[in-house]
Amino acid sequence: MDFRERILAAMNHEEADRVPVMGLIMDPTTVNLVLEKKPVDFAGLLKRPVWGLLIRYLMNTNWFWRRMYYGNFAGSLKSAIKLGFDANWTIYSLMKLNREPESALGWAWHDPFGRVWELGRAPDGSMAVNYTRGLCETEEQWEAWVEQKKPVYEALIKNVRVFHKKLVEKYGERIYPIGYAAPGIFENSWQPMGFVNFTKMIYQKPDFVKRIVDFQTDLYMKYLDAVMESGVEVVLGGDDLGQKTGPLMRPELIEKLYGNSYRMVADRVHEKNKKFVFHSCGNIYQLLDKFVDWGFDGIITMEPTAGMDLGKVREQVGHKLVLVGNLDVSYLMVRGTREEVDDAVKKAIKDAGRGGGYILSTCHSHPFVDPKRLEWMIDSAHKYGKYPLSV
Amino acid sequence: MSGDVLNQLKSSLLELDMEGALAAARMVREDRQVAVEEAVAAVSEALKVVGSRFQEGEWFLTELVYAGEIAKEVMGLLSPLMETGAGGLGTVVVGTVAGDLHDLGKNIFINYARSAGFKVIDLGMDVNANSFVNAVKENSPFALGMSCLLTSTDGEIVKVVEDLKKAGLREKVRIIIGGAALTEQFAETAGVDAFAKDAITGIDIIRNWSGG
Ligand code: B12
Repeated sequence: MDFRERILAAMNHEEADRVPVMGLIMDPTTVNLVLEKKPVDFAGLLKRPVWGLLIRYLMNTNWFWRRMYYGNFAGSLKSAIKLGFDANWTIYSLMKLNREPESALGWAWHDPFGRVWELGRAPDGSMAVNYTRGLCETEEQWEAWVEQKKPVYEALIKNVRVFHKKLVEKYGERIYPIGYAAPGIFENSWQPMGFVNFTKMIYQKPDFVKRIVDFQTDLYMKYLDAVMESGVEVVLGGDDLGQKTGPLMRPELIEKLYGNSYRMVADRVHEKNKKFVFHSCGNIYQLLDKFVDWGFDGIITMEPTAGMDLGKVREQVGHKLVLVGNLDVSYLMVRGTREEVDDAVKKAIKDAGRGGGYILSTCHSHPFVDPKRLEWMIDSAHKYGKYPLSV
Repeated sequence: MSGDVLNQLKSSLLELDMEGALAAARMVREDRQVAVEEAVAAVSEALKVVGSRFQEGEWFLTELVYAGEIAKEVMGLLSPLMETGAGGLGTVVVGTVAGDLHDLGKNIFINYARSAGFKVIDLGMDVNANSFVNAVKENSPFALGMSCLLTSTDGEIVKVVEDLKKAGLREKVRIIIGGAALTEQFAETAGVDAFAKDAITGIDIIRNWSGG
């Protein structure tokens, strides 16, 4: 059996030759370590007079951006192949470099949805990027923003289409690259405004919120279509709906604001005969039944530090969802001992592997995730994951 | 009559009715039938109920956040009339540690702390140890709050504690921490005074410290 058959069997709740293992590799730090490459200090180069000017110019050209982004994920896939993963996610985004006096480097990325992404340095010197705030505080600002960005959305969709397709063409013989349509509708609606501001809008301007959600749903469907053109049978989508102790919003409110959108998403994926796996961090027990109801085929993450346990999830949803996860990235995959990693893999397979419908992975990416631990994880998966399971 | 206003203030807050709560606050300002302090106490009581609803899982983050926003606006109307002024319960310095860019939790804690009557110096996120120490030096807060959601950055908390010791400030300030990466055990080993599993617990703890 090859990696593709293994993933598809798991997605159909069938037992393959063994439990498949998926990588969530994307951080340049991890890629550099695995491929033994020297980190590129973009942040430092930005500050240099000539280099800085050149990078600032190049980063805002579609040509360079596409190459750079493709290069990052080609690196992720090469790393995942080298380590022996059956699959790895691939994610695209489009950013514009802007002057940002508030930011540590004086520069930040703005994404087409209206978020500011702070540029920083990971400990090894490679670039680290993180969403920090939104650019659209008011209704007027949001309207003006999306109007102005219309051509960018078109470019984005076009780039997405090429990006995933090219990665599948280049690496699809050696690994299963699963395209991830992210950020999702929930995050694209609140993050450009900030959580507090968006919460106020929910209570004070429900019509406006509906307009935002409708707009983002429409855009997301196009995005998803573009990702699905890669030809791969599984697509990831996602939104962090949870925090440490439970959903960010009352499940009924999520249903009211986003239920239809998520149903449309699942339907669209199924129309194309593909499967939809949903990524959400945090504690999401209270949403599992909704995921089934909306038509999702699987979920990925199930963050242990937020109390998510594969056994409990399986007990709650049975084989109505494929489970992908959930080794801890806060300690286990950073500093855990070989024995601890081995035990965690064994437990995960024991809790979720029976009857197929399970893909082993970490619960998230993190620049500190140690490639050695990823190797251990794969070794242990080969040891305990053979069907019929003996754990 | 005075009881009515206080009830309206409380119940509006608990029903997440911003307009109702603000109308009641305006009534307090204009009619002067009830002491402002009483109205503030009513807000504070309502927030305690909000807090326990959240802790018990009856309310979710959006509700916690919006109740906090209502309280903030109500306090904006009431606090100028208070004798002690806003922030009468003392000063707290708060920030998210270096390398960490999560700020939702920190901001909720800050909002609730302000509504509860504390003066808060918000250092923002990605705050290095040096800035924490300087802020303690400059503002002499009775409490320092640090938020940390990444395990990779929890060492920063230890660093702040060490640097405060070196600067001779550790005994002058109590330290409280919160955020997804942290636990009670971590708080003990890091040598801080308290860990709060959520913002409301955090408010209770600093209220206790301030004697308020
Ligand atoms: C939203 C989110 C983000 C957003 C943050 C947006 C923002 N401006 O805040 C974005 C997308 C940017 C993000 C980025 C990353 N994230 Co993140 N993120 C989350 C998520 C889903 C929710 C966090 C949140 O806001 N919760 C809501 C708030 C209200 O809850 P809270 O912070 O816990 O706060 C409450 C209490 O803890 C307390 N509290 C908090 N602070 C304080 C302080 C004091 C003094 C007190 C008293 C109380 C208190 O009060 C609050 C209310 O009760 C969590 C999942 C989780 N389990 O929490 C992951 C999570 C924290 N992220 C994680 C990771 C790995 C990352 C990234 C490294 C991903 C990557 N590979 O790039 C980056 C790191 C960025 C950086 N350098 O900081 C991991 C951390 C794992 C670990 N233990 O190290 C988590 C746990 C997800 C996971 N699956 O493992 N993330």
